Amino acid sequence: MAEKKKTTTTKKTVTKKPITKKAAPVKQDIKKQAPAAKPAAKPAATGSTTQQKPRVGVFICHCGTNIAGSMDLMAVQEYSKTIPGVAHVDNYQYMCSTPGQGKIEKAIKDHKLTGIVVAACTPRLHEPTFRTATKEGGLNPFRFEMANIRDQNSWVHMHDQVGSTEKAKDAVRIAVAKAALLQDLYPKSVPVEKAAMVVGAGVAGMQAALDLAAAGIKTYLIEADTSIGGRMSQLDKTFPTLDCSQCILTPKMVDVGRDTNIELYTYSEVNAVEGYIGNFDVTIRKKARGVLTPKEAEARGLVGGGCNGCGDCDAVCPVVKPNAFEMGMKPRKAIYINHPQVVPLIYTIDFDSCIKCGLCVTACGPEKRAIDLESKDEFVKVKVGTAILATGYELFPIEKKEEWGYKRFENVITGLEFERLICASGPTGGHLVRPSDGQTPKKVAFVLCAGSRDNTGSGKPYCSRFCCMYSLKHAHQIIEKIPGCTPYLFYMDIRSFGKMYEEFYYRIQDEGAKFIRGRVANILEDSKSKNLHVMTDDTLLDRPVDMEVDLVVLASAVQPSADTNRTRKLFGVSCSMDGWLLEAHPKLNPCGTTTAGVFLAGVCQGPKDIPDTVASAEGAASAASIPIHKGEVELEPYFATCIDEKCAGCGMCVNLCPYSALALVEKDGRTVMEVTEAKCKGCGTCGGFCPGGAIWMNHFTTPQIVAQIDAFLLGGEQ
Amino acid sequence: MSEPGAKHKFAFYLGCIAPNRYPGVESASIKAMKKLGVELVPLKGASCCPAPGAFGSIDMNVFYAMAARNLVLAEEMKMDIALVCNGCYKSIWEVNHKLKHNKDLRDAVNEVLKEVDMEYKGTINVYHTAELLYNDKFIGVDKVRDSVTNPLTGARIAVHYGCHLVKPHKDREFEKEVMLNTEHPMWMEELVSALGATPVEYRNKMQCCGAGGGVRGYDIVHALDITNEKLINLQEEKVDALTDICPFCQLQFDRGQIEIQEKFGATYNLPVLHFAELLGLAQGMSPQDLGLDLHGISCESFLRKVL
Ligand SMILES: Cc1cc2nc3c(=O)[nH]c(=O)nc-3n(C[C@H](O)[C@H](O)[C@H](O)COP(=O)(O)OP(=O)(O)OC[C@H]3O[C@@H](n4cnc5c(N)ncnc54)[C@H](O)[C@@H]3O)c2cc1C
Ligand code: SF4
Ligand code: SF4
Repeated sequence: MAEKKKTTTTKKTVTKKPITKKAAPVKQDIKKQAPAAKPAAKPAATGSTTQQKPRVGVFICHCGTNIAGSMDLMAVQEYSKTIPGVAHVDNYQYMCSTPGQGKIEKAIKDHKLTGIVVAACTPRLHEPTFRTATKEGGLNPFRFEMANIRDQNSWVHMHDQVGSTEKAKDAVRIAVAKAALLQDLYPKSVPVEKAAMVVGAGVAGMQAALDLAAAGIKTYLIEADTSIGGRMSQLDKTFPTLDCSQCILTPKMVDVGRDTNIELYTYSEVNAVEGYIGNFDVTIRKKARGVLTPKEAEARGLVGGGCNGCGDCDAVCPVVKPNAFEMGMKPRKAIYINHPQVVPLIYTIDFDSCIKCGLCVTACGPEKRAIDLESKDEFVKVKVGTAILATGYELFPIEKKEEWGYKRFENVITGLEFERLICASGPTGGHLVRPSDGQTPKKVAFVLCAGSRDNTGSGKPYCSRFCCMYSLKHAHQIIEKIPGCTPYLFYMDIRSFGKMYEEFYYRIQDEGAKFIRGRVANILEDSKSKNLHVMTDDTLLDRPVDMEVDLVVLASAVQPSADTNRTRKLFGVSCSMDGWLLEAHPKLNPCGTTTAGVFLAGVCQGPKDIPDTVASAEGAASAASIPIHKGEVELEPYFATCIDEKCAGCGMCVNLCPYSALALVEKDGRTVMEVTEAKCKGCGTCGGFCPGGAIWMNHFTTPQIVAQIDAFLLGGEQ
Repeated sequence: MSEPGAKHKFAFYLGCIAPNRYPGVESASIKAMKKLGVELVPLKGASCCPAPGAFGSIDMNVFYAMAARNLVLAEEMKMDIALVCNGCYKSIWEVNHKLKHNKDLRDAVNEVLKEVDMEYKGTINVYHTAELLYNDKFIGVDKVRDSVTNPLTGARIAVHYGCHLVKPHKDREFEKEVMLNTEHPMWMEELVSALGATPVEYRNKMQCCGAGGGVRGYDIVHALDITNEKLINLQEEKVDALTDICPFCQLQFDRGQIEIQEKFGATYNLPVLHFAELLGLAQGMSPQDLGLDLHGISCESFLRKVL
């Protein structure tokens, strides 16, 4: 039975609604038997508090000098005492500290408070803290309301003592108006599906999946490309230790392929996401690959069939395309693998270029019968408790910085192209050559911050964070591999901030790399020799430079990978202005997002080198496993409730709800709206819209909001 | 009011060098633009823009007030300004932009203008004719192509953009809205193609002509040295002519070749034509109408190729 706790005058009790089939079973909080407050049919001035006279306690925080330095807190305190309904006022240096919280707890008991207002920072930072203190004092934690007098007041009106004091008084008065009408609410718990999803299988996604799997959690790993490994698998060596990238990555790739707790979906993407923390229903789109895995073959009754990676098809396919993994510098066929070490070792047909000649089918033969030229996209539905986004990055299209002539001048290449050219398994077998004539260069210029730290509007304003270090690595590789070739690094400043990075920088200097401090203004090509003139200003020697070199390597900026934006929207994750996915808090919650149950790993959140990427992946995996191991999560009790008597069953709200939480049901012979509480995010769209005022938004009730507006407009006199 | 068929009307600001040294630019602009539905109405009483290097480097108050006076003349005509010179663009466009966005500056300038009973109000915009030709909003490349009666087929033509129209890139609205990049623009090449000629790229296309910023007046040898470097790069590509959109750049490349011959002994004989002159030719105007005989470097070789 849904009843208001302590309420004596409930006009009509509403029967607890059955849960709709789609939603997970909602468990009552066992400790508190009473459910969330239910409104009476006439909710005006409803609420258990109004039955007793409200006694609100106001606590004003100095936040050191953050608040106290910009306003007259004593005046705010004196004013607060005059606000109707206020029974107690106090202030303290740091309300969030143990003594500060103690004040709240004690005052609740001493002054029989019914509601708490803390005038301090933001709910985002400290609502949980003060709710706990409220609860410790013996009140329902939802009897707490915050007045933001720091971020939205003292910090913005730092030099307006009078104005900020007045604004703080307003904020306190408004908060008190709400606190007087707050009701007891009880969070619900929902069980958490013991499975997780990781989107993107670069080193970040692989690490996160391996950790989750090791913790006993079934993990779906979704990779858009045909094989896993991400950018790291394209690298030759890794700074600062110079270990071979493939050598340290391949074992991890193999582990991912082998782990029984990991279900790997390559050449796949997330198509749709429904639900909420604990119960995400995700639809995976497996793109038509044209080639069956042994497992898929078996499912079709072809025992012993499926792709074994022999490459017989590759040998006969007549269609040649550039291999994107090799940055287009090596050909591949229409049926292809990225490189010989791929995981999974399954070929893929690029149906955009396949001419369906069928030669591969014949070459593959009647035993394997791995190739299906008619294969179609497939959709798979899975349920997971939590998800990690690890969609990584791509290079900023550096040809947009036209002054450096990428794509116009043959001998201007990017750092990733350099990685492939210097790599023994790359298109030239590890011989760095000039694209124009295949000659070994003698003088190579590296343009750092190419498109990064660029405020002209045509590049990216941020630092891409790994290009200084990989350019140092590239300089080393040149000195090591090509005797007599000198690397020249054109830089703004060298950011070698990681462990053993500065030492690496010194080492490269000693090895003979040359450093010129200056942003490259322009690159000109000699049309005959195809040599390049790098034009800059040497800002240490204060003189213009025009240096002729054989090859230019642009350390291009990076940006979120192409499909990041679509994917993040499916999961309701925000991004910053430059498109990187937004963490819940940059310092204190770097792996979480504002969507409960969704976490971030690796470069999709912002440029990170491999050590930082792996650390963030392990953090995300740990954070994503917590709700799963706990087995249940509490949902904020801010859901909408339908007052059946007022509901006309028009159903307008059902279509408006962005979370599909509403439905029309038959009840006592009438059509009324019903809320699936676990799906409702409390956004209030329906509540604000309902023409009959039949929707009651818990914790943001109409009486509460009207009281706040009145308090603001009428100065408390109603 | 307007010519039948003239969709747009502009106050035509001529500047100093065009009417004095290359009068063909004036006649070609008026006639060619008319064919494209743009009427250029002379801006009567206009003064020097004033020259951005010469005035802007010495006395900003005079610089702002003079440019503002020219703007007010157009405001009184209730017409946007169209002009044919990058230097004029820099002064008049930029002063207009600054006065529109900076009240203190506007008040100070209006204080000066009061002496001649004028007030700057900020009601008009300023355009370069090249910008009008390229931007579909006014004319666009397709219309330019359609207006050609004498295609310049077979001519290899290189473009000198000049500095002031495209930079500083941060403020230039035309840059942001229409052409998006300043470091290696290609829109002038599109216009050259529209006339039937073959646009030719050359090394360091975006380098200054050498004259700007007062360098020509202050250190002619230095200025010519820069010009000479550009001419060497152009010669490498065997171009038939160079086109520009700024009479001052044109002066530097055209007369500059004679000076270079005197000072450095190098001969190029490269015809240099303002894009308006090229457009005039392509629309069938005669070289005499265009005053091409007044150029320092003879255009004969080029004309033989295209006529
Ligand atoms: C030239 C160069 C050299 C470098 N050298 C070094 C070095 O020496 N040492 C070092 O520490 N770091 C180096 N780095 C940085 C290193 O590449 C990154 O730190 C690392 O690759 C980040 O891994 P990630 O998993 O976050 O992203 P990524 O490697 O980009 O992986 C992301 C994965 O997600 C997949 N994906 C993307 N979108 C989706 C989607 N919507 N759905 C499904 N899957 C998706 C991608 O296909 C990819 O497989 C270098 C970078 C460059 C450019
Ligand atoms: S059917 Fe397609 S993939 Fe197979 S060989 Fe022919 S072109 Fe290549
Ligand atoms: S890491 Fe170095 S090269 Fe890359 S953007 Fe930052 S400072 Fe520039």
